[in-house]
Amino acid sequence: MALLVGAMLLGGCKGGASITVDATVPSPLVDPIRASMGVYFDDALVNYVHEEELEEYGAYRIDIGASQAPVFARVFNAMFQDVVRVAPADRDETSDATAADEPAPSAPDDDEATEADGAGKAIRFVGTDGSSPAVAGIIAPSIEEVQFATPDQTGGDFYEVWIRYKLNLFDAGGQNLGEMPLIGYGKANERNFGQLGQQTPALHEATTWALRDAAAVLALQFRDQAAVQNWLATIGVTTSQ
Amino acid sequence: MRSEYPSRSLPSGFVALVLVAGGLACGGCVQTTVQEVRQADTQIGSGESVVILSRKHKTQGETEDDFVTCVSDSVNQGDGALPILSEREFVDATFPWFEPKTAPLNMEDLATVIARPLISRRIDEIGVRYLVWIEGTTERTDESGSLNCTIFSGGIPACFGFLSWESGANYEASVWDVERGMTVGTLSSEAAGTSFVPAVVVPIPVIARVRETACANLSDQIKTFIHPDLASVPPEG
Repeated sequence: MALLVGAMLLGGCKGGASITVDATVPSPLVDPIRASMGVYFDDALVNYVHEEELEEYGAYRIDIGASQAPVFARVFNAMFQDVVRVAPADRDETSDATAADEPAPSAPDDDEATEADGAGKAIRFVGTDGSSPAVAGIIAPSIEEVQFATPDQTGGDFYEVWIRYKLNLFDAGGQNLGEMPLIGYGKANERNFGQLGQQTPALHEATTWALRDAAAVLALQFRDQAAVQNWLATIGVTTSQ
Repeated sequence: MRSEYPSRSLPSGFVALVLVAGGLACGGCVQTTVQEVRQADTQIGSGESVVILSRKHKTQGETEDDFVTCVSDSVNQGDGALPILSEREFVDATFPWFEPKTAPLNMEDLATVIARPLISRRIDEIGVRYLVWIEGTTERTDESGSLNCTIFSGGIPACFGFLSWESGANYEASVWDVERGMTVGTLSSEAAGTSFVPAVVVPIPVIARVRETACANLSDQIKTFIHPDLASVPPEG
């Protein structure tokens, strides 16, 4: 009875939420591209936290940084025959591949950059041991934006989360070949979280689904991108999945 | 109160069952309707299993997780229990082909997905024979009356009033035979009832358990549909 009365008194009190999503995804069932690929996860990606203050609903904090490397590593490991972790030779040498939250890209030092086809400066990536990696290309995901919505805001049934990524593709010489937009969308049915105080797990579930959706879209649609198809053609890989 | 449903064959080759039963359940009045349309024979072999799934691509009216879990557990228990692979295990094992955005919506899509050797091999490995797609929800409507609760001096809570509402549970299950690549039938379970809460100091809820009833009926239907021999087994007791 006391719980019932307490619940009635607390009805409508939302008070924001703070979640940390430390998730991964299953290994995608896709045929791997027969190429060795370098992957770069910058600090902005692996430390990404979305914070937002909603006037009527409180403060929200969604920490998804810890999930990024495990999720992308799992997907890339399935998508490519071989995957190598790389980083710019000079870690201050950021590029357009970095997240929106990071400082603006700076030009690499002359001795670390080369002009490739006259189409802009390339970035020299190195492996974890500092050596030049034998890879056919490099991919660098970054988060551009995170948005969320609650049923109170939308009048719908769902807690919803959108994660907007950008994936920069570089050739083996570090020349940026283009970028691929990637949006992960996840939702959690309010009906599955009916009790008071369930906003936090509902947002957690929606965020987890958004990560999973991004992974699914990446695994299935990567080869459809024009820049990717051009790159695959240049390295002699057929695009059929 | 449970209902027993006779069946009769139709000349078209489709078997249809339409049954309506009314009765009191758990104090609230629950009326149930069950329908079945069979499009092909079914059987399940040793090492084969069933997956109960919900559609997650809709923007509203998504089936509740606990209903899918209820059906999955019920089909896996009791007389005529069928081997079940959980929804999560299945979508993880076939990732990313049965995600909310990518899951096949019809047989043509399923055939395209299963035609991929990687998927075909994985389906064989996990032994899934039937996919049962559930759609529907339980809705609460026509609420009337009011209930007021307060805390008297001394911290004693009390409620007064009368509250009632109608609930309707409407679910449909489409059964896909993965091996043959065809829809073998459609089942539906509906339950409606009135719940009420009279309160004089202490509220006494009398709940029409429509979702639980719909779950029990649909689960029994799935068992007897996939394993028709069960229908001829006399009930216990």
